[in-house]
Amino acid sequence: MGDKVQKQIKIVVAGPYAAGKTQFINTVSEIETVKTEAKTTKSGEKEVKSHTTVAMDFGKITIDDEHVLYLFGTPGQSRFDFMWDILGKGMLGLVVLVDSTDPSTFHEARKIINFFESRYPAPFVVGCNKQDLESAWDPEDIRTALDLDEDVKVLPLVALDKDSVKNVLLALLEEIAKYI
Amino acid sequence: MAIAGNLEVFNFIDIFQILKKDKKDGILVVENEDKKFAVYFKEGNILYIREVVKVFHIYLDVEFEQVLEKDGVSKEDLYRVLVAKLPLLLAVKKGKFSFTPGFIRYPPYIEPIIPIEKIIMYLSRQLTPEEVERKISDLNLIFEKSENWRLIAEKAHLTDVERKILDYIDGERTVKQIMEEAKVKQLTLQRALYGFLATGLITRKKKVKRKIGFNLTKNLLRKIVERIKGL
Repeated sequence: MGDKVQKQIKIVVAGPYAAGKTQFINTVSEIETVKTEAKTTKSGEKEVKSHTTVAMDFGKITIDDEHVLYLFGTPGQSRFDFMWDILGKGMLGLVVLVDSTDPSTFHEARKIINFFESRYPAPFVVGCNKQDLESAWDPEDIRTALDLDEDVKVLPLVALDKDSVKNVLLALLEEIAKYI
Repeated sequence: MAIAGNLEVFNFIDIFQILKKDKKDGILVVENEDKKFAVYFKEGNILYIREVVKVFHIYLDVEFEQVLEKDGVSKEDLYRVLVAKLPLLLAVKKGKFSFTPGFIRYPPYIEPIIPIEKIIMYLSRQLTPEEVERKISDLNLIFEKSENWRLIAEKAHLTDVERKILDYIDGERTVKQIMEEAKVKQLTLQRALYGFLATGLITRKKKVKRKIGFNLTKNLLRKIVERIKGL
């Protein structure tokens, strides 16, 4: 008795396989990110990383006594897209991550944007991860590759860097502010 | 910043779309086990294609006129050489690509002869079902014509079917509706839409109203912003 039930606010972090979603959440979460990972078995995936998210990852940021912000990371592979549907419901906004060094993931990111835009058209921003690497594409070129208008924020990102992740989240909140 | 990758997952249409958008000048290098091409771009259009034995040969000449002189090509021959080399380049489906912006200096009197929009549409007619799925993955997508679509359509040399499809794009009809009303096959429509997007003829329809799945007040949003800033 007396314990307040905290209201849960949800931001979804989506993106292709190995775009850095788990790292993005981990960098700002106040708890260690809760992971639902399995060993990667598919050819072409196991060479990239040994474990992959199969249901969702989540991290937590307490806002006040009444509110908690959850960051939910979706599984990257489209064979788990039923989870995108579950996570999209009731979200405040969406962060779509791409691996700036791997243009093969740009098309996958476009498909993910198509999916959420047709079902849960919440405000969204795109984070171009791995911008610290030499082979990273310029965010403006990634914008063109994703067929995104000038009014969509396409931001440079290094998911290992807290300030960089904060910058992407604040940009999303700025977008959200336009709709309240 | 790089523009580099693999042709199997990022095809010529995708590359040309990016180079055209910002009217980039520079050299696109395409290489596989058999061939190495240097594709010279001026303002996002292909000006010249040259085959080389070693990639570093490309970077020996900064002046475009020197390149032509070495290859024994006159200004008058540019069109003929381009038309002869273009099918060889576009037949390459596997291999690496990388674009070096700038680097080459073009004389002002040399202008691109074949609009890139025409090449993009030509390539879009050969896209596989797997390729079109990358961009036209949902039959509920809605597109609208861009502001300067008439000018682009002129450069793109559309077929009668593509012109018909373009007529149906109005910012209201979904891909599925266009397919039914225009009575075109799904793959034909997806190929045309892929090409239209890459040329800039059409854009995805903007969402006018977005939905937030939480009853958010300005005060709560301010708290969230402050909390994130303080992390």
